[in-house]
Amino acid sequence: MLGFSHRSLANFLFWVTQKKWFLITMMVGIILMLLPIPGGLTLEGYRIIIIVITALMLIVTEPISLPAIAIYILVMEVYFGIGSANDIAKSFMNDAVFFIMGSLMLAVAIIKQGWDTRIALGIIKITGNKTANIAFGFTAISAILSSFIGEHTVAAIMLPIGMTLIHFTSENDKKVQNLSAVLLFSIAYGCLVGSIGTPSGGGRNVIMIDYLRSSNLSISYIDWMIRIYPLVLIQIPIVSWVLIKSFPPEYSQLDSGVRKLVIQVAKSAELTGRNTVAAFIFLLVFLGWIFFSETIGLGTIALTGVLMYLVGGFVKWEDLNKNTHWGVILLFGSTISLGANIKATGAAEWLAGSVVSFVGPILNALPFLGDLMVTIMTTVMANVLSSSATVAVLGPITMNIGSDPLHMGLVTAIASAFGYFTAVAAPACTIVYSSGMVKAKDFLKVGWKMGLLSILLLVIYANTYWLFFS
Amino acid sequence: MKILIAVGSKEYSGPTLRVGMKVSHAFKASTTIVDVGEKVSSFNTKVVGLAQDRMESWNFNRPGVEVLEWAFEFLAEKKFIEPKAIEAGFPKNTLVDTGGNRSEVYLKGTVFDEVSLILRNGEIISELRDEVQSHQYDVTIIGGSKKRRMAHDLIQYIDSSIFIVNNYNPDQSYKILLAVDDSMATSKAVQYGARVAQAFDIDVDILTISKIESFGEGYKNAANRAAKFLRRCGIQHQNIYKVGNPSDVIKEIAGDNHIIVMGTSTRSPLKKFFKGSKPLKVMENCQCPILIVK
Repeated sequence: MLGFSHRSLANFLFWVTQKKWFLITMMVGIILMLLPIPGGLTLEGYRIIIIVITALMLIVTEPISLPAIAIYILVMEVYFGIGSANDIAKSFMNDAVFFIMGSLMLAVAIIKQGWDTRIALGIIKITGNKTANIAFGFTAISAILSSFIGEHTVAAIMLPIGMTLIHFTSENDKKVQNLSAVLLFSIAYGCLVGSIGTPSGGGRNVIMIDYLRSSNLSISYIDWMIRIYPLVLIQIPIVSWVLIKSFPPEYSQLDSGVRKLVIQVAKSAELTGRNTVAAFIFLLVFLGWIFFSETIGLGTIALTGVLMYLVGGFVKWEDLNKNTHWGVILLFGSTISLGANIKATGAAEWLAGSVVSFVGPILNALPFLGDLMVTIMTTVMANVLSSSATVAVLGPITMNIGSDPLHMGLVTAIASAFGYFTAVAAPACTIVYSSGMVKAKDFLKVGWKMGLLSILLLVIYANTYWLFFS
Repeated sequence: MKILIAVGSKEYSGPTLRVGMKVSHAFKASTTIVDVGEKVSSFNTKVVGLAQDRMESWNFNRPGVEVLEWAFEFLAEKKFIEPKAIEAGFPKNTLVDTGGNRSEVYLKGTVFDEVSLILRNGEIISELRDEVQSHQYDVTIIGGSKKRRMAHDLIQYIDSSIFIVNNYNPDQSYKILLAVDDSMATSKAVQYGARVAQAFDIDVDILTISKIESFGEGYKNAANRAAKFLRRCGIQHQNIYKVGNPSDVIKEIAGDNHIIVMGTSTRSPLKKFFKGSKPLKVMENCQCPILIVK
């Protein structure tokens, strides 16, 4: 046909089937372009909304790679006249992007130190042999560590500990299905509930701090912890309880598993001076975040840690380069650019105004419903998108709902961690899912319970405990 | 000759591997066994990789390695690989990352020179298509799937002959059902059918189907040429002439005790995309193994 060989036609058809969501997205974009601009919205505002809708469709369906989506956002922002080429380029990079970059690199450096054996020993010493206590220990340690280091690092460190304990309890996977679910979900959900605890717990927290700062609202590392850390502590036993009830473990005691684990850990290499220095460097980074993040920025401090690990020879650049997902960093840069431009073009205010005009009277009568609405919206989006991208795009809009941008900003950042429902919602969930010991349907089975409890808890928490800060 | 055998798990891929290696043996083909693992969310590929590195330091295999290990044990049991390699055991440390979500172990074969075990991650059709295109396989052997889309995509987009090991029962005695017509693909289908018949040491039914009452010269010649070729190869055969709808007739005759061998459709890819094709209909209808020769 038209001189095309059967092979080239087959290649073209394959391309169409692989890229169908890209073609559908482009058609949606063109249709939106042809529609009249809604009243009260500028041309640039309308165009940035079109870019947001199409970019979100691309991120969810992924017909093209993540870096390609980032480039799509970049070029569309320039072609649509949202800003000059230089302005758009600048909007791609800020301290939050530095933080995400630094956090991914720190993960590589930290995971390579092999701290998992010490952590394993620590958990077992505290919890003993009882399954329920061990599950609580896994949740608590995952939550506390991930509140400072970042969930992906903690999940990668904790997974082999959990897997070893399961494997040592029984080599037949079918005999330890529930035990596997309890321990592995303790890691994943522990990481999720912990990641809200401090600004360094996740890139999304830093993105929100950046948005708050641009609205002249400052929140320090300690302030963040004072407001949010109690919620982490409340959620830890809830996670443990929900998991034990949802997946009653086959063994109430893990005597043999624990004994074998202790022997295995004892056989591993002794703690070296080098390990201690590596831990000390991280301690310095942590202290830097607490005391200097407001002046220097969380991202710069994270990168300082990376620099120290590189200079000290604790990690090679080749390893960092190989294990850092540059495409994800580029994509987060682009979503942050989208967020900044939603705000700059007035689209954020218009979108928030539209929501408020729709539900305004109800919100005035029952202010907590605003929190509930934002929490549900953010949770849904975080489960199909990514938590950081959700905050980057939704943040500027939700901050304009209600009268307190700080309150709504924090609610958005916290709700973005409720990625309990799918294996792809959060790095920690994907990591435990990659073990092959938990199934995709298990996430839904227990996720809806955790999701419901977390949403309700957040709404109650934000409308009671936070009243002390207003 | 290069053959690609796609396996997925110890539980379900036994027949595929058994049939695949029999066919490879008959063709004396370089053989690659591939396991295509689930696609990892693009956001998390690197962190999952880091976690798996850590798991390996605790002596846990990364997903897919145990499938390759099982395939290795099968090859060792059937003595398809050199005794030295068998003695050394599954060489998971030599699983080399060849880029693009693909890792490979090379083994020295006994019947054929090369045997490779490959791990890939991603969407199955894309990965198989990429593997076949970049390494020029002649036949891809894969287990059956209930998904209609899967069957369509395999036939439409994989650039090699496709052998779908559908409901293969090792205790059942099979015959080859060689469907012939006057199309270009028939002569290659006859050659492949003969090889498979030799591999399994079974008879061949040569089936010629006409939609009208009379059989044209082209059809008769194709059937006669096939019979002549099989006679030369020393394979027992019989010619069957039937009138009716090809896919219905093939289904009726094939039952569950035939391995169907037929040429690919010569329709344009566009027509196949929208209207389907004879091999696709046969694949959807029949509950037995089927080799579609391209």
